[in-house]
Amino acid sequence: MRARFSRWLRVNSEHYLLESAQAEMAKRYLGRSVPATERGLVPGLWRHLFVPMYHRLPQRLRQSAIEAMPGSHRRHWSEPPPRPHIPGIQ
Amino acid sequence: MGGGAAGIGAAGAARQADPGAAVTVFTEYEDVAYSPCGIPYVHGKEIPSFEALFLQTKEAYVKAGIDVCYETRVSSVDTTRREVQVEGRGTVPYDRLILATGFDYADPGVPGGDLGGLYYVKNIRRAMEWDRVLDSVKTAVVVEASPLGLEMITALAHRGITVHVVDPHPWALAELADPDIMRPVEESWAEMGITTHFGTRVEAFLGEGTVRAVRTTAGEIECDLAVICTHKQPNARLAAAAGLALGSTGGLVVDERMATSAAGVFAAGDCTELPHGVNRVPIACLTGSHAYAQGKVAGTNAAGGSRVYQPVYVPWGMVAGTWMVGGASFGETLATALGIPFVMGVADGISRARYYPGVRKVRVKLLAEPAGHRLIGAQMVGGEGIKERADFLGVAVRTGITLEDLATMENVYSPPIGALNEPISVAAQNALASLRR
Ligand SMILES: Cc1cc2nc3c(=O)[nH]c(=O)nc-3n(C[C@H](O)[C@H](O)[C@H](O)COP(=O)(O)OP(=O)(O)OC[C@H]3O[C@@H](n4cnc5c(N)ncnc54)[C@H](O)[C@@H]3O)c2cc1C
Repeated sequence: MRARFSRWLRVNSEHYLLESAQAEMAKRYLGRSVPATERGLVPGLWRHLFVPMYHRLPQRLRQSAIEAMPGSHRRHWSEPPPRPHIPGIQ
Repeated sequence: MGGGAAGIGAAGAARQADPGAAVTVFTEYEDVAYSPCGIPYVHGKEIPSFEALFLQTKEAYVKAGIDVCYETRVSSVDTTRREVQVEGRGTVPYDRLILATGFDYADPGVPGGDLGGLYYVKNIRRAMEWDRVLDSVKTAVVVEASPLGLEMITALAHRGITVHVVDPHPWALAELADPDIMRPVEESWAEMGITTHFGTRVEAFLGEGTVRAVRTTAGEIECDLAVICTHKQPNARLAAAAGLALGSTGGLVVDERMATSAAGVFAAGDCTELPHGVNRVPIACLTGSHAYAQGKVAGTNAAGGSRVYQPVYVPWGMVAGTWMVGGASFGETLATALGIPFVMGVADGISRARYYPGVRKVRVKLLAEPAGHRLIGAQMVGGEGIKERADFLGVAVRTGITLEDLATMENVYSPPIGALNEPISVAAQNALASLRR
């Protein structure tokens, strides 16, 4: 159930966050606005509620929400090894 | 389970870790150990034959002591009893299981999906059959300018086929790359006679028995063939049915040893998800090189050895139209979508000395964190050297290299292979200059 919810959230949030960023990039680099290809109440809610809310959240809160989702990031991953350090050399 | 890059990587590594281990590979396909990555280039006639794509003979696996069961489908997995059901063979027990079932293309989910003439590029035998069909194809529609889409668009055009690209996004490769990076590619496609329909959705495949047109939100496009290059999705159906944990991407949850949530079961390749090194968001369906490396980790650990994988920074690159594009980690579009703060530097440079024949423009774009200026991503378009720069920048992100490091980097200058000013360094200098303004 939790996995199904997180999949649903991921698919939709990814879609609408990307769509919004693409619209911004298209304006900046292509000099044109991009009309949305899907209309209706549900896409409208994602676009006008979820996307602005996501961007208004402080970065730390967003990251905590992402980390709370089930997934491979919750399993054990070693930190990358430190940068080379040769004893005796600063 | 699986005879792709991950499965074969795992089988070889398991035998290496424990030469006494009995290793069996089940694959639905007729072959293993071929490079699917080369298929578009045979279609485009850059590579003369499919035979060149085979990396090993079937006898080589027999000699290596790996029992490859071709055209053999596993129908279910029971992790409690440690056995799999194999069609035509019944129950097969295991001590350790490695799932390497790969990816599926996302279903376009529109009427007409069962018509003939819809080509999903994957299995080399089918590719050989489709290659003969291509001889009589005049017009093709490529559905989505994804990484594979980009390769197929260029390949079909090389083949002399009239190509239409239908993609719901505003520019090519828009889930990965930025519009300024893709602009030269799209211009080169136009010069090659390729027609693009961006911001356009497929509504149906039309025809009686075989596709004759694609109906889109921008009208109908007559065609003899539609190549479906929708995004890749993890094929983890059997694992899900067996109760293994899947993540938000639909890929199998694994740890750094590529161990799944079930004891004695490992997974590798496109059926898994891995954390991104910068923000730890899990991502699935990476590349063949990731799949092979993960397979080696899974195979080693399954056979009692010890090896770990690491979070990914995903260097990528490919030829598209008359250009090469590439990058590592995040581009501007993805970072903006995720709300990751960044500072940016761009440079338009050249690939060789400006007077040396064959010199190409190179655009490099660097993204770094605003506070410490550590690199978080890069994107590029140019000619030669894009792959090497992408690999280098992937390591740069992974090791925490800063804009200051790159702005003062040493670089090779040799007229036929590199310009005096390395565009990566200039992009970093430009980023720092814009911060001082
Ligand atoms: C046309 C094409 C071009 C590509 N180009 C590139 C490229 O340029 N660079 C790059 O890095 N990568 C490229 N790739 C690689 C690709 O994108 C994947 O990352 C890679 O194939 C993943 O390997 P895998 O072993 O995880 O899965 P797959 O290659 O998908 O292999 C899955 C295997 O699982 C088997 N299988 C699935 N279910 C069952 C079952 N129930 N029973 C038995 N067997 C089963 C299949 O038979 C198959 O052998 C390309 C792939 C294709 C198809």
